[in-house]
Amino acid sequence: MIDFELTAKDREIINLAREQGKIAQRYASYYDRHENELPPEQFPEAKNLPNPLDLAEHASDSSGARILHSLVMHEIYGGGIALHRSRWGLGNAVLNTVATPEQVEKWKNHTIAIAITEPGAGSDPANIRTTATFDRETDEWVLNGEKIFISQAESSDAAMVFSRFVDADGQRGMTTFLVEKGTPGFTVGPQLRKLGIRSHDTCNLLFENCRIPEFNHIKGNFKSTMTVFNDSRPMVGAMALGVARAALNFTREMLIQSGIQIDYRGGIRSRSAIADRFLKLEATFEAALLTVLRSKWLEQQDVPPKVEASIAKAAGGKAARKITQGCVELLGPEALAEDHPLDRCFRDGRIFDIYEGAGEIQRLIIARSILDYTSRDLR
Amino acid sequence: MISFELTEEQRLAQTMAAQLARSTLRPAARDADEHLAIPPSILKEIWATGIVQSQAGAEATRSATLNAILLEELAVAGASFAIAAAAPIGFLSAIASQGSDAQKKALLPLFAGDSYQSAAVAIVEPDFAFDVSAIRTAAVKTTNGYRLSGIKGPVPLTRYCSHFLVVARFEDRLQAFIVERDAKGVIIGEKRPNIGLRALETATVTFDNVEVSIGVRLGEFAGCDVQWIVDSARTAFAAIMTGISRAVMEFVIPYTKERVVHGAALAQKQVIAFRLADMRIETDAMRWMTWKAAAILEKGGDATRQAQLACTYAREQAMWIVDEGVQMLGGHGYLRDNPVEMWYRDARTVSALEGVVGV
Repeated sequence: MIDFELTAKDREIINLAREQGKIAQRYASYYDRHENELPPEQFPEAKNLPNPLDLAEHASDSSGARILHSLVMHEIYGGGIALHRSRWGLGNAVLNTVATPEQVEKWKNHTIAIAITEPGAGSDPANIRTTATFDRETDEWVLNGEKIFISQAESSDAAMVFSRFVDADGQRGMTTFLVEKGTPGFTVGPQLRKLGIRSHDTCNLLFENCRIPEFNHIKGNFKSTMTVFNDSRPMVGAMALGVARAALNFTREMLIQSGIQIDYRGGIRSRSAIADRFLKLEATFEAALLTVLRSKWLEQQDVPPKVEASIAKAAGGKAARKITQGCVELLGPEALAEDHPLDRCFRDGRIFDIYEGAGEIQRLIIARSILDYTSRDLR
Repeated sequence: MISFELTEEQRLAQTMAAQLARSTLRPAARDADEHLAIPPSILKEIWATGIVQSQAGAEATRSATLNAILLEELAVAGASFAIAAAAPIGFLSAIASQGSDAQKKALLPLFAGDSYQSAAVAIVEPDFAFDVSAIRTAAVKTTNGYRLSGIKGPVPLTRYCSHFLVVARFEDRLQAFIVERDAKGVIIGEKRPNIGLRALETATVTFDNVEVSIGVRLGEFAGCDVQWIVDSARTAFAAIMTGISRAVMEFVIPYTKERVVHGAALAQKQVIAFRLADMRIETDAMRWMTWKAAAILEKGGDATRQAQLACTYAREQAMWIVDEGVQMLGGHGYLRDNPVEMWYRDARTVSALEGVVGV
């Protein structure tokens, strides 16, 4: 039956995440201003508090693990930084999806970053230039290339590198290699200077004649590797909306304090332009969050939500842009100060329509699906 | 528990409504618009779905969520058709949820017949400053009942209306009064076609010092919650705007695939393809917002915020979608040979209304 009411269990876990988000704000603010410092593996407060993401995974009487997980992530992003730090990178997801049991065994406790993007290849991995050539004499691969915008670059133990290859027989193709930190020829650059999400560890990676043993060759099918992103897209939508909601809540509070009420009863001729705009931003938030829930609900029905995942990512990313920009405008000059919570929302909120497939890439995926076009028909 | 799952019954009803919309209603939409009336045969088909009568049955058969689902399907064929169903639904659901036992007993059975009939929730007033928060129609207490005065409109399908549910200011709050069409002082104005929804034969209805009995105040002495009626109407409009948006999207997809410009199909150009993708994103979002508001209403909760957000969002997005739909067809979109210009007019008309309908 169609229903949008959270269960008591949902609310309990979401509230817990929200409370932890409040604690985390202090750290979010600190690491926003100290972008070259890596946050510790664990914040002191996290020691005695349960991780709401784990609770979401195993809760009974919830709206389902996928839905609740996304709503918890939404709360965590409302706080700006996770109080419980995750050790795992998307590279771990690739390892678990496509590696051999021996490889999984060897690296299961490593934090593995994923390295796809290059100076000339962002949304279009076909342009990847990083190349591994097989050296017959030593049975090693020799990797050369540059990877940029890599999350967890500094804090990870290894990187899952997407690369072209030329094997012993001269065969060419695309594949992945696991490169451990400390391998000669593998350099991690300095922290990138970003508009926002400055607590996120983001650097470029350089591979110069970096020699990798054959055992590190993760021979996944490229397509199945990319399905890792199908699961993460609606999650990015949920995260984007966490930042957007923090901005909306703050703006609402300030408007009310300034005597501007948000009244849902009247029509458009009953409210001020400011109240009307706020209401539209709030509607944009609701709209996007429901597309996230739709996608997550489909996941729970074991229907692979490809188009819906892209809809959720596109809607969440766009909503975060509109809402954070709109809130700063609504509150005016008082909201411009850098020590103001809206400042970080405004800067952080801009990333979600860019990373993990820009809004345009999501629209390509959606358009191909509704038009029944291949990637050749619609480029 | 969050769920998007339709019940078996909802799925079945949705399929039937979609089938009727495709085979019978859509082909009749243009003619109805041109001739300023919904043909009796079409009203009969809409009545035969049972969607209106089910509001009048036992409490258990009324479902705001199901109504929202069905109104979307009907609106894909034509917003006027959807409103022909949603107007009496608005009236009946208000009686069923807010009326006194005596009112329910007297009024609900009247709508169990075999032929189409309507009754309208009269909230909108012909005034540029109109707002649900600034209604001018007034009711005053008299010795034996109430006296109503004011003008309402546009009111749809007045020809078929046996009653009007008149929302008026009464003792500093809004209340609703059930007024028979034949009551003394009820003057139905000339039909006045609008930009869109032309088949609805809308007219203004003047209440010139209409004397009504004590028993016609909705909810009688307890009164009623007019906001509930407004919330229900906004939810229904959001469903109808979702339907119009879907109609546009489903029409322009094959067109843009066929139409070749500068050597490639229109749809192969990102500027068009991305807008189509946005149509899909927004139509989905509108539907989920509508469902959420309807689900809250169905559970008896306070849906004011959700209905406002759903309607506000749908107004903006539906207008954007019809506008882009006209644009994608170029000159053809401007011709009355294609339905998009009609949807363009209908969407603007729907989005300017309040009240009138319900889920």
